[in-house]
Amino acid sequence: MSPSRRVVFISMIVVAVGTAAALGALYLDPARAAVGPLPPEGLALPGDARFVMGMDVRRVTASPLYKRYAKGSPGQAFSRDSAFHAIEEKTGVNPERDVDQLLLVGRGGSGVDAGLALVLGSFDRGKLSRAIETEKKGKVSWKDYQGTTVYLFDEGAKGTGAVAFLDDHSLLVGSQSAVETTVSNRTQGTAGLRQNTALVALLERVRPGSTFWMVGDQSLLANLPRAFPNPAGGPAGSGGSLTLPSLKSLIVTGDLDPVVAVAITGETPDEAAAKSLADMVRGLLGFLALQANQKPELREFAQAISVTTEASRVQVNARFPYALLDALQTKAPATAGPAGPAK
Amino acid sequence: MTDGTGSAARGRDTARPLSLAVAARGVFDLALQGMVWSRRSLLMAILLGLPAAVSILYRVVPKAWVPSRLGGPDLYALIAVFYYVRNFLPLAALFYATALIADEVEGRTLPYLLTRPIPRSAILLGKFAAYLTTTLTLTLPATVVTFFLLLTARGFAGLGASVPDLFRDMGVMVLALLAYGALFTLLGVLLRRPVIPGLLFLFAWELIANLPGYLPRFTITVWLRSLMTHHPAEEGLAGLFAQTLPAGMCLGVLAALIAGFLGLSLWIFSTREYVLEQ
Repeated sequence: MSPSRRVVFISMIVVAVGTAAALGALYLDPARAAVGPLPPEGLALPGDARFVMGMDVRRVTASPLYKRYAKGSPGQAFSRDSAFHAIEEKTGVNPERDVDQLLLVGRGGSGVDAGLALVLGSFDRGKLSRAIETEKKGKVSWKDYQGTTVYLFDEGAKGTGAVAFLDDHSLLVGSQSAVETTVSNRTQGTAGLRQNTALVALLERVRPGSTFWMVGDQSLLANLPRAFPNPAGGPAGSGGSLTLPSLKSLIVTGDLDPVVAVAITGETPDEAAAKSLADMVRGLLGFLALQANQKPELREFAQAISVTTEASRVQVNARFPYALLDALQTKAPATAGPAGPAK
Repeated sequence: MTDGTGSAARGRDTARPLSLAVAARGVFDLALQGMVWSRRSLLMAILLGLPAAVSILYRVVPKAWVPSRLGGPDLYALIAVFYYVRNFLPLAALFYATALIADEVEGRTLPYLLTRPIPRSAILLGKFAAYLTTTLTLTLPATVVTFFLLLTARGFAGLGASVPDLFRDMGVMVLALLAYGALFTLLGVLLRRPVIPGLLFLFAWELIANLPGYLPRFTITVWLRSLMTHHPAEEGLAGLFAQTLPAGMCLGVLAALIAGFLGLSLWIFSTREYVLEQ
């Protein structure tokens, strides 16, 4: 075999091995989600959700953002560490150690009925159950619902809260109706979130490996305000406000290490609306940059955000180094320390 | 000459030219030998393999020594988009494809090729296939190695979900080499000194892709950029007016460009009289 053919052959071997490894990773990935980033347990969530949020709690707690800003500041009644210590003592669950993923689902309605949380991790189920049963005596009751114990708080009152273990690794917290719907979907194998084709389509577009993410469809976005004050004043007759084009869907993904990176994708009704929205966002960023005379960090902040359009989609990508976030925070006034001994 | 079975091997009818496929295959073998094992390929191997070396450094050097603002996946996206598709693959295409015929002219070996009883189009097709094989040989392994090194920087979780991006990126790289290769082959067939116009095309004309409106559609890079799933943040005009075109349209336009440039190259090479300088 000539040297050139040998080189080509070796190259083909490397590519073939790489392709096989990639296909193997695709097939065998233990963290492979059922739909997009949603784990299989998440498919049992109610299908009438308007938005779904997810967070990789382990990545969040390992991130510089958490280490910098989540620590309790001196003078707080409960620092974060002591609060988590108290939770661990009562329930056996250390949120930083035992919680892997957090899923939040938003439904229609208000109050307790509006949301449902699915916590995935490693729990001492017995200790946690005892803590729930003894924590609020007289206000908590429990019942068996389709083979699953559901704990009810203030049963009979409006907005009864509920907690249930789907299994040793999944904990549901929300309204009674939402928790029971999820338990029912799981035990009977009925399509929960999967029947919400709009959200499923959005979930499949979430960037893989994101530390946090959120998807929302038109039913959520229709209720959001569309008029915002125009920081630049705006043309005469506009009332000094900006009217955003309507959004059909929204996808937010982000990472916290090594920088705070956020990607927002909004789907508008058409290409013209996308261009209009993108121009609006670019204008706001330009206005921010103009404020750099007063605060130079704002220019860097504006430059860290880029806006692109793809047909009817607007994509906003932002990457903020932690040094920039530190600089943007307003410095607290220096407090005088105790008077030292006279020298 | 007889074969082992005893029956006489029929000699080739030398009055008739070889078929296109057989002739192209022969030219391909000959051209591949000269192309892969050459100084040009050694330089290209270093340039196209540089991301793999950077990835190794990224994995090996402790973060405390060189704090990085880029995660592994972000660095891979930058390498795939900026290093390969926008810069070094077009350059590799320029230096290889313009030389397909220009080297034969400069080396005064073109008459020997043209006097062979093979269709002229077979010469160009065989050489183009050799160029494509050579550049893919240098590019794809580096891409695969870079992908695995950077995407596993934070562990193997989520690797499976990124695999489709790898295949898509490799597909876009193949299209980039085909499209730019076809264009620069045309330049090489048309012009005596095709490198300078090729460089002007890459570093002047292709900048139109950063302008607003329909002008970017007159470049090759905008169609390739639109096919990639990575869209790293950019500053300046590129960040301001970046647009992504529909994938179906991109594939159609690229296929048409490749077929058009290559077809034109074949026609011109087949009909043109090459007069070498004395």
